[in-house]
Amino acid sequence: MALIELEKIVKTYELGHQKVPALRSIDVRIERNEFVAIVGQSGSGKSTLMNIVGCLDVPTSGRYRLSGRDVSDLSDDELADVRNLEIGFVFQSFQLLPRATALENVELPLIYRGVSRKERREQAEHALDLVQLSDRMTHRPAELSGGQRQRVAIARALVTQPSLLLADEPTGNLDSKTGEEIVWLFHELHEKGNTILLVTHEPKLAARCPRAVRLVDGVVVADGKGREVALANAEALGAETLAAFNAAQAAQTGRRVP
Amino acid sequence: MSESALPLPLATRPRQMGFRRKAARVFGELREAVAQAAYALRAHRLRATLTISGIGLGIAMLIGILTVLSGFQVSFLRQLNTLGPNTLFVHKWKWGVNGNDWWKYKNRPHVTQLDWRALEANANLPEAIAPIVSNDASVTYGGKELKHVDVRGSTSKYLEATGWQIRRGRFLTDLDHELGTDACVIGADLEEAFFKGQEPLGQRLKVGPSTRCTIVGTFVRKGNAFGQPQDLRVLIPLSAFTRSFGLKRGLVLSVVAPAGKVTQTEDEVISVMRNARRLRPDQEDNFSVNRQDKLLQGFNQMTLALNVVGVLIGIITAIVGGIGIMNILLVSVKERTREIGVRRALGARRTTILLQFLCEAVMVSAMGGFVGVALGAGAGKLVDVLTPFPASVDPKVVIGGCLGSILLGAIFGIWPALSAAFLHPIEALRYE
Repeated sequence: MALIELEKIVKTYELGHQKVPALRSIDVRIERNEFVAIVGQSGSGKSTLMNIVGCLDVPTSGRYRLSGRDVSDLSDDELADVRNLEIGFVFQSFQLLPRATALENVELPLIYRGVSRKERREQAEHALDLVQLSDRMTHRPAELSGGQRQRVAIARALVTQPSLLLADEPTGNLDSKTGEEIVWLFHELHEKGNTILLVTHEPKLAARCPRAVRLVDGVVVADGKGREVALANAEALGAETLAAFNAAQAAQTGRRVP
Repeated sequence: MSESALPLPLATRPRQMGFRRKAARVFGELREAVAQAAYALRAHRLRATLTISGIGLGIAMLIGILTVLSGFQVSFLRQLNTLGPNTLFVHKWKWGVNGNDWWKYKNRPHVTQLDWRALEANANLPEAIAPIVSNDASVTYGGKELKHVDVRGSTSKYLEATGWQIRRGRFLTDLDHELGTDACVIGADLEEAFFKGQEPLGQRLKVGPSTRCTIVGTFVRKGNAFGQPQDLRVLIPLSAFTRSFGLKRGLVLSVVAPAGKVTQTEDEVISVMRNARRLRPDQEDNFSVNRQDKLLQGFNQMTLALNVVGVLIGIITAIVGGIGIMNILLVSVKERTREIGVRRALGARRTTILLQFLCEAVMVSAMGGFVGVALGAGAGKLVDVLTPFPASVDPKVVIGGCLGSILLGAIFGIWPALSAAFLHPIEALRYE
């Protein structure tokens, strides 16, 4: 049984009277212990897909089974419980509570799970240990560097031992060196048996994933080895950029030489 | 890194929460909500203080008004009881008369000793009739002068008609009145001022400009009534009073009715008085028969109006305070929109978010309530100490103020809290 089964997922947004299709028809299966990158430009629908996979949103039509359980039309409270029990989120902008210490931030999802205070503390300490932040437990986010903040966020995602780790541009707000460390952390976690879904627009990141899925205008256009998909993506990107550049050049020269 | 980085096998994953887990979840969420609310209030100290003081003032005002009113009421009722429930007061003036009729009552003839005699001779129902006349005069003893002493002339029936009691010595007798003796009975304030630790009985006082009196008894201390001291008083026989101060003063006839026959007695007194004054059937009474319960009615109407006004003012200030709570809560929700999104992503249900913001609202309003109760009760106590009105802090008002303020927070916090709970998690996460 696959961990994630997406069948003909369609998501349409209604802006006034206009219907805007974000996802046209997505069929993706992700097995346990896979490390998959979702690549695509902004507007390709990768954020929408991530929201649906993360149970933050429900598809307009289609089936989504998470660990064999159909979650495509659950109530709001049930979705909240699925998010709490099955999914660990890592956001681009970390999204830590500024007023709480690292430890309290990591404990937060356990509160919603109903874990007793003592166990909560133990599990949170363990998770922080896992991301090598045992010496920063009582620091508030403002007292931590960007890389450390993202580690706290990852610890918060890991502390519930989720089936799926969902990372949305986790290196987007980090410099390349700390970004690299975070990527290594993800690879390590993957080796330990975690399933990771990484949403990114950076071909370099996707190239290092065992598998990548490329979205264009709400449709899966490539699904395969990370290296190949990233390369194709880069080429496509390159072509597009080149075309845009040529067009701009043409427009400029056109203006200069009537 | 250890094995627990691995996801749990599906079978051991808790899908359905047991009772203990649910209880732990609710308790944990509540603790967290309180901690977050306390932190939010600390972080915006000025904002919170302003709102709290707004509510506090509102509640304080309400409690202050109610406290003063209830104290006023209690003391009035207590004083009213000193008049005696079965006593009628025949007087030129009607109690509680308003300004428009002033001349009508002013122009009536005084109640005189003739009226008293007529009642004594012809009214059968009254148990006792005491004529009372009073004058403000100074009293001197041993070179010490007390001004504004209430000098009263009456008869032996005075005690029965007013419920006053003799502490030492004797009261005036019928013979004192018949003979116009120089006997007098003094109030507790006079006794204290002139005879601290000395024997007052048998001593002679100078009452008014010329009269000399011999003390034959002293009254038991009576305390204040209607804001007036009652113990600075000298009682002398009616005949001695008229001799000293003249006949021009009107009397009050204090008529004691048998229990349960107050109305019949009132009718009889009216008919005897009309006969004595030879009023034709088409003429109005030119005297008034006053009763304690009539006074009570008027008083109750007045205090009801005051109570209604007080409660209305209180409700309006409470609403203003409530709007203040709503306002800071809406700001708080806006500021923490992203936080709400994060919490929802981590598995907080709508009710969790609702609880968190309600907690903040109730905390603000409860603090305002406590401040208000303390201020209001303090103001009531101050009125009690500084003015003659005894204001009493009613525990019901205190408990009501505290519970009411908590309710206020819940009512005015529910809308912002709901708006937070129903934010879409994705939009909340993206909020800048």
